[in-house]
Amino acid sequence: MVVDGLTPGRVERPSSADQVAEALRDAAEDGRSVVPVGGGRALGIGDPPQRFDVALETRALDRVLELSQADMTVSVEAGITLEALNATLAQVGQFLPIDPFNAPGHTIGGVLAAGLSGPLRLRYGSPRDFVIGLRVALPDGRLVSSGGRVVKNVSGYDLNKLHQGALGSLGVIVAASFKVFPRPLHEVSVETRPDDPWAEVARALALPQPPVALELASDGRLLARLAGTADGVRRLVAELDWTAAAPDAWEDHSRRSGDGAAWARISVPPVALRGVVDALPEGAIWWASPGVGVAHWTGDLDADAVRAARSSAERAGGSLVLLAAPVELKRAVGAWGTRPSTAAWMTRIRDAFDPKRTLSPGRYVV
Amino acid sequence: MALPRTALADLRRIAGDRHVIDDANDLRIFERDGSISGALPEAVVLPADRDEVVRVVQVAARHGIPVVPRGAGTGLSGGAITLRGGIALQLSRMRRILEIDPIARTAVVEPGVVNADLQQAAGRLGLFYAPDPSSQKACTIGGNAAENSGGPHCLYYGVTTNHVIGLEVVFADGSVEWLGGDAPDRVGLDLLGVLVGSEGTLGTITRVKVRLMKLPESVVTLMAAFPTIEAASLAVSDVIGHGIVPAALEMMDQVTIGAVEAHYRAGYPTDAGAVLLVEVDGLQESCGELSAAIERVLRANEATNLRTAADAAERELLWAGRKGAIGALGRIRPNYYLHDGVVPRTRLPDVLRRVTEIGDHYRLPVANVFHAGDGNLHPNILFDLREAGIMSQVEAAGEEMLRAVVELGGTLSGEHGIGIEKNAFMPWIYGPDDLEAMLRVKRVFDPAGLLNPGKIFPDPDRDPHLVVRAGFCAEARWW
Repeated sequence: MVVDGLTPGRVERPSSADQVAEALRDAAEDGRSVVPVGGGRALGIGDPPQRFDVALETRALDRVLELSQADMTVSVEAGITLEALNATLAQVGQFLPIDPFNAPGHTIGGVLAAGLSGPLRLRYGSPRDFVIGLRVALPDGRLVSSGGRVVKNVSGYDLNKLHQGALGSLGVIVAASFKVFPRPLHEVSVETRPDDPWAEVARALALPQPPVALELASDGRLLARLAGTADGVRRLVAELDWTAAAPDAWEDHSRRSGDGAAWARISVPPVALRGVVDALPEGAIWWASPGVGVAHWTGDLDADAVRAARSSAERAGGSLVLLAAPVELKRAVGAWGTRPSTAAWMTRIRDAFDPKRTLSPGRYVV
Repeated sequence: MALPRTALADLRRIAGDRHVIDDANDLRIFERDGSISGALPEAVVLPADRDEVVRVVQVAARHGIPVVPRGAGTGLSGGAITLRGGIALQLSRMRRILEIDPIARTAVVEPGVVNADLQQAAGRLGLFYAPDPSSQKACTIGGNAAENSGGPHCLYYGVTTNHVIGLEVVFADGSVEWLGGDAPDRVGLDLLGVLVGSEGTLGTITRVKVRLMKLPESVVTLMAAFPTIEAASLAVSDVIGHGIVPAALEMMDQVTIGAVEAHYRAGYPTDAGAVLLVEVDGLQESCGELSAAIERVLRANEATNLRTAADAAERELLWAGRKGAIGALGRIRPNYYLHDGVVPRTRLPDVLRRVTEIGDHYRLPVANVFHAGDGNLHPNILFDLREAGIMSQVEAAGEEMLRAVVELGGTLSGEHGIGIEKNAFMPWIYGPDDLEAMLRVKRVFDPAGLLNPGKIFPDPDRDPHLVVRAGFCAEARWW
């Protein structure tokens, strides 16, 4: 296990939430630094950690705690993989619409902490929209819960949101509850490679019921997933008039990653995405969710090119974040970009939860 | 108690004499909200814009005066009550829709914009704003964001937090920040997600950016009658169990039906034990197929009197009955106490049975009208405030109902918030460490404790029963 060239002094593999909390407390008391590790699929995110004393692996926390088909909710430990969870849900005709890239092997805790999402965000939103409860181990050894196991809840602050995308900088997620979704009654995937892909993107998004996922890649290929009732999908397929996609098209797509090179995620208002993508260097390799406003750009990225793309993303009100990159590139341009204007508030929150910077010091935004 | 004279003078300079109220009689108007509690502010300030809000908050900080933001005052958990006096920051003058972008499908509004007014403006462009609280003709978008409000159509579309993409917030130190924005991923901690639903205890919202959605091409609204509330509850679970998530799935019990029918003549069968209102929207083809499937499931669950709204007018009427139900209950008793709790959907029959038992025990009529699809129940305890000693009975019954909700794995509030109505019960669902984590956030944003003090968190000074109540905690069961 290596994070930006650093190997941990030791690896801990707790098998219960209490053990995670204890390991964290012990490390904090001894001044050791901890990097939480789930499936290891997103270890490239963030700036290089200043220290890496302990790797805290959550993979042994892999149980489904409660699955209630009729309530359409599920509670799981954080170390379960997305594939294992979705296999369980499939048995009752349901699924969790989380589909990050660099699959398979992501754990629930890892995906939530890293704030990852994929093509299905177009229809279902990001995990932020359907996480209903979290349990988190804090560096002082406390295990704290937020939210609950019901689909609607406004009891107290929504701390579920605070830990998502925080890259484990406030605590380590040990369990999560979700609102799940019924599998679509009917689903068809289609693709095309038109002369003017962006015009075709606009046409697909303007359908009376847009695709549940719509992806465009730098090679000009468009891939769409249409879901709903059989009659409804038939009509959409006819209106779109693309060709049937290969059965494993989505699985192939989900395997995309930085492939050992650099990997940047551009996130901008959807209306600005084309402009930012068009400005990438000639021959850039990218894929995007145009309806969402996210593009992934990979390859041997040059620092100046990253700076230019980041500045156009930030001018559009968005960001460019390195999901993986050689340490030299990270040091040259930084993983996160311009500090948000609210960074001072974020730092104070970090101080309140991780005062000694036990968790991945130096890696997160604050 | 009055504010220091220098503070009042400052407030008058900021907002103008006309927009600072401190006359004892005039203040009474701001004593209450939609909840059953009340407390007088020492002054009401009606700022014209964000800069005035900033300056009012700075004056408050300088003098240590509590500040309570207030929208339309329709909140049901006491969020707008000036529990510790201080300044009620009445935001209704800030009611401009600043921008609707039909391409990006977003709107930027000031906090005092009424939910229904935004709906109307969006509707003219073929768009809609999904959260639709029953009070939408009065409640404001700022209040909706502060309370993370829901509504009937949140079953499919999600609640306010799923639709607010940006907030401009004035913090307790007078600093101003935009949280969130149009990009799908933001760098850093999700402060936006924490501020939504924080009930005015972390900052004052001065602008809201929301996501709008395209109006569906087709809508089908069904009404079905059931012999009992249990049968209707089972039908709800069965619809969802068939993999169908309608846009809305609402229930009314017999007490409610009687009152609503007398008032609206919406065509609800008054001899039914319960009525379900089901709505599906989307493609024309899908609506037909889904409503037919729903009809089959409902019939298999003892539904009678199945009726589909023939046109928009009939649909409006069915919804008018639902959304106006609470007001119609005035025919039965002049006062009501509307409760809010959520259980896992499958526990609806259990919890409704308990609610009925509790109402019977206290000899108080109870009317249920609620978001059945979400498991979000709203028992209305009906009473006449002129009856001596009735309030303590009403509150005791409400507390028992809430306890039943929590014992069945539920939560204290699905959409009304905690405020001062339920803060004493927070230890039922959160352990001390859970609450401490929330308090850490509170102390970061409001170290002096001046923003809407006394809300959300249990207050041992105010509630002598707290220790007894805290003896029970259903939360922290993660197996």
